Amino acid sequence: MGEGMTFVRRFVDLVALGSDHPISRLIAYYIGLGLVILALAYFFPESERLLLGRGAAAPAETPLILEDGLTPAPAATTLGAGSLLELAVTTTLVLIGTILLMLPVTWVYMSARHIPGHSQAVVQTLIILPLVVAGIVLIVRDSLALAFTLAGVVAAVRFRTNLRDTRDVVFIFLSIAVGFAAGMQTLAVGAVLTITFNFVLLLTWRYDFGRNVLTPTAASKWAGPLNSLANTGEYDAVPDRDLVLSLSPKSADSLAERFERVSEVLGKRKKKARFTSVLTITTNEVADAQPLVEYVLEDKAKRWKLDEVVTNTGKPSAIYYLLRLRKSVTRDELLTAIRDNAGEKIENADLESRDAIEEEIGASA
Amino acid sequence: MKLLRAVATLAAATAIASACQRRGEISEAEASELASREKRLAARVAALAVDTSGGAVLARWVLPAELKEISGLAVTANGSLLAHNDEQGRVFVIDPRRGVVIKQFMVGKGDLRGDFEAIAVSGADIFLLLSNGTIYRFREGADGEGVPYTIVDTKLGRECEFEGIAIEAAGEVVVLPCKNVAKKSLRDQLVIYRWDLGGLASQRASMLTVPLARLIGPNGWKSLHPSDVAIDPVTKNYVLIASQEKALIEITPGGEVVRAGPLPEPSEQAEGVAITSDGILAISDEGNRQRATITLYRWPLVPVPLGIVSPPPGPLESR
Repeated sequence: MGEGMTFVRRFVDLVALGSDHPISRLIAYYIGLGLVILALAYFFPESERLLLGRGAAAPAETPLILEDGLTPAPAATTLGAGSLLELAVTTTLVLIGTILLMLPVTWVYMSARHIPGHSQAVVQTLIILPLVVAGIVLIVRDSLALAFTLAGVVAAVRFRTNLRDTRDVVFIFLSIAVGFAAGMQTLAVGAVLTITFNFVLLLTWRYDFGRNVLTPTAASKWAGPLNSLANTGEYDAVPDRDLVLSLSPKSADSLAERFERVSEVLGKRKKKARFTSVLTITTNEVADAQPLVEYVLEDKAKRWKLDEVVTNTGKPSAIYYLLRLRKSVTRDELLTAIRDNAGEKIENADLESRDAIEEEIGASA
Repeated sequence: MKLLRAVATLAAATAIASACQRRGEISEAEASELASREKRLAARVAALAVDTSGGAVLARWVLPAELKEISGLAVTANGSLLAHNDEQGRVFVIDPRRGVVIKQFMVGKGDLRGDFEAIAVSGADIFLLLSNGTIYRFREGADGEGVPYTIVDTKLGRECEFEGIAIEAAGEVVVLPCKNVAKKSLRDQLVIYRWDLGGLASQRASMLTVPLARLIGPNGWKSLHPSDVAIDPVTKNYVLIASQEKALIEITPGGEVVRAGPLPEPSEQAEGVAITSDGILAISDEGNRQRATITLYRWPLVPVPLGIVSPPPGPLESR
């Protein structure tokens, strides 16, 4: 299975020219699937009938020798005419076809989501459910008696599941529909259904269709900080939402360092943070201002650490400190003391506390 | 690699299945089987030529899924059977002696759908009947071909619901027995319309009525709902079957009852009847719980049932 998936992935990579864009990869997959079906139909014409069925209205090929009803013959089953081998091959092809149709649906389910994370159970259900439905339809087919029996059995088996995302229900419905199509040997219908579904879903996700205009987009939330990050001189601005992908290695490193600093402020999981605040000093005289500020920190902070000195040309440099204030010292007292001690040497002093940072993160989430 | 191996195995299985199910040509073994079928049928016909018990089965052919809902039957000049299902305008040509679907062709471009109930043949023309009395007229086509058609609207749909059609050999007179009659005053009658395709517009339809009491007799039927009609090529009598009552009726064109009794075999849903010129009665059975079939019987069923005295026929009305 793993090798198979690797093969599929490589093929998709090849056809999609290595693109990570979901729509490109989906198109690549369907091209591959189409080629496989064409090859099957070319080399084994019978497989087209078995797979796609063409419905019950498809004309039988002629001449067709009819079964002699007077000579003893195996009792007809509700599965219809055909040899046992044909039945087995048909069922196998139908089930494989169902899996091949549902695979991209699971990819879309896993990737095109607004709510972070997905349910593995739903993903597996999307593969398994249509197989079961197809099997049931293959068995029941035109038998009213079996249909009633099935209804009775299903009524006896009760299960209820709460789905996190209401859209998951749509996926479940889709998998049932594909199962029905497969069971009726009209996989062409299932194929059109899933292809349309996948692309429509991807496009609605891609363009955030139906978004309330008053709600800020993810892009707008990140535009400010990412723009300032990108605006390092090398690039003026990157207005695209794929900004992160377009960052230069240098910018990416810078972003990573800042995230690390915030992470250090917030502390590791279930571990008390060593530092609770970030002190930012902007100054044109870094060498002079630094000892004056640190003199105050020795007095007012329980612990502190010089995090980074960012030297700028044409605008004030920045000195970042990580610190934990003494319980008796407030933010204002610290900033007042710094301005008193190093007022002439610094342009500005600002203190971001852990609570404020967490509040900001919570608001943006 | 395992997946590739699985795909290769599947492809091989498909190839085997394809080979097993290869159609479009008849192998030597199949040709031999068909020849023996023909011989068997001939032997049975010969054996039954002196048999007067009636109802003996000559052959029974199990139909493909496409004819699961077989509706009408008709015999062509060369002895082939024409059959169709009740939803699609597609006609199957069947060799009844060998049990082979020789070909099939579509009425129109293949997407013609309707409540098709019966089929009849007159010379080169084929007539396909809708339950509302509308008739599609066309010629036999090649295998897979769509044939052009013309529509004849008898406008009899308001009078009754039809399920059977036959053509009187004397001319272009269509025989249409009513399955369900609209007029209350005629509900105790078997109503058969005759529609003259070449007559004057005002004189095209005439009606033959036979009191149901005369037909039902000792059979215990509550009513009679003919599901198809055929014309005996020898006597020119009307031979009707009724699916609901599982009845087989034979009356003369003048309305005299020749035979009124049960079908040769209790069938699930007898929908079509045809009689060949060499004395074979074909009845199609939709077979609700089983697969659809065409069963061949020796015709006439002999002997004519006794005890039923044919009353004078009902009035022959002109419309």
